[in-house]
Amino acid sequence: MTEDPYRWLEAIANRREYIRNQLAGGSPVFAVSLAEGILLLGVGTGQSKVFEVFDRQALAGLGHPADLERIRQSIIDAAHLEGFTRAPEDVALRRLVGQGLGPQLKAAFEQIFAPPFLIRLLLAEVGPTPASDVLVKLGFDGSFTLHPGGVVVVADNPERESAIEAQLATALKNTSGVPNAARALLVAWHQLQSGPAAIADPASADLPTLLDALGERTVEAALLLRSHDRMARYAALDPARLGFPLRPSQHTAL
Amino acid sequence: MPRPFPPPPVPTVAGDFFALLAQHQLAPVAGDAANAPVQTTATTVFAFHFAGGVLVAGDRRATAGNVIVTDRVEKVIELDATSLLAIAGVPATAFEMARALRTSFEYYRRSQLQPLSLPARVRALSRALRDNLALTLQGVGVVAPLFAGLDTSASPARPEIFFYDPLGAQFQAVGYAASGSGAGTIRSLLSYHERFGSPPPAQLELPEAVRFALRILMVAAEFDSATGGVAPESARFATLKVLTASGIQSVSESDQQRWIA
Repeated sequence: MTEDPYRWLEAIANRREYIRNQLAGGSPVFAVSLAEGILLLGVGTGQSKVFEVFDRQALAGLGHPADLERIRQSIIDAAHLEGFTRAPEDVALRRLVGQGLGPQLKAAFEQIFAPPFLIRLLLAEVGPTPASDVLVKLGFDGSFTLHPGGVVVVADNPERESAIEAQLATALKNTSGVPNAARALLVAWHQLQSGPAAIADPASADLPTLLDALGERTVEAALLLRSHDRMARYAALDPARLGFPLRPSQHTAL
Repeated sequence: MPRPFPPPPVPTVAGDFFALLAQHQLAPVAGDAANAPVQTTATTVFAFHFAGGVLVAGDRRATAGNVIVTDRVEKVIELDATSLLAIAGVPATAFEMARALRTSFEYYRRSQLQPLSLPARVRALSRALRDNLALTLQGVGVVAPLFAGLDTSASPARPEIFFYDPLGAQFQAVGYAASGSGAGTIRSLLSYHERFGSPPPAQLELPEAVRFALRILMVAAEFDSATGGVAPESARFATLKVLTASGIQSVSESDQQRWIA
């Protein structure tokens, strides 16, 4: 099959379709640059969706938990080796993705006889100002896009992301603070999912209502603090209140 | 056909950063100590329990023979949110140990999604000292550190103090521990105050504990030229960090100035 270019292209197309089908219905994840830092939020059913990577970096993703775990371990290994051999300040998301995860995922995607990675990822790196934040969308085929701050959504279907991102950008322009931002992200989550747990009018619902409507699902949220006296900036957020950071670095997952 | 992400090698212990370093041939290599120059050394450090937790202190002097290299060394190092390392000995080795341990603890916490237990952190430092055995036996790169860590298995979480010999033996301190060339004086003073002090160090509140730590460091500097001491009149203070059930807090120079008066 591989000696025939057309069949190879067909196999790749089939592979892409297969992965998209597998990812359909996956719970979206969000990241938004705020004055306080970068807020990452996901809604899951027992499996963690938001993770600390290194001092200023974190990731969130959807897809197969085993694939997510392998990618997570891979980027944590790379970041710590870089931080140890050079300095923690030298660990950069652009390099981790552009020279590490991106090419590796692309190679894995094009190996049509091997099982693919069923994931879509969102990675974040906090900077000294919101404009210097780096947010990255990373696809299962290794394609990635860099965003200097703002708001980024990764859902099961890339076509649905742009509209929600534009809506969130407008909503977040008129609000401030982590709890309000978390509320806006939860509204967007409900709108993207609109499944049995969704509520009639999420846009006008308050935070407790939005949380109650999740049912068995749990919110997982973390803040990459913009400034802190420790190097590790990742702080998990209390899911019941979404605004009170737990102690940085002591709690990795809720 | 192999996948670009090879199956992760089966590590001897999950989340072992030193195994990861060895796998990438990045493990620190012990060198030949022959013809070594005069070593820079760092003294004096100590830790004691006070009412709010554990106070870890260090003077800021580094010497090489009879030469004062600097009076601005940071000998009390935060390894993670609940671990403090106080170094006495050769900074070249000690700082590298601290860097490796800090990365190792954070690597474990991030990759395994749980913090390393206190016994494992205590043994990790012991292993780092044992790995330095060749240099230690040659009299080069000797380190005798102190470690303070939070025992989160206790309720409420309890700060503990450990001290080591240069070969890696670990000992838990009941009330206090000291290391470095000024340690003899410090231990004598702490022992005296623990037995006859009113109140003893374990009952001091933070401002009193800071004042007490600075004063015994000043006394130690009287008897040991390698101990930097404290000179409030020239704004030269110690490195003081406090480990409590809620984490680590540094005592700023302005607080030291205020409380020593």
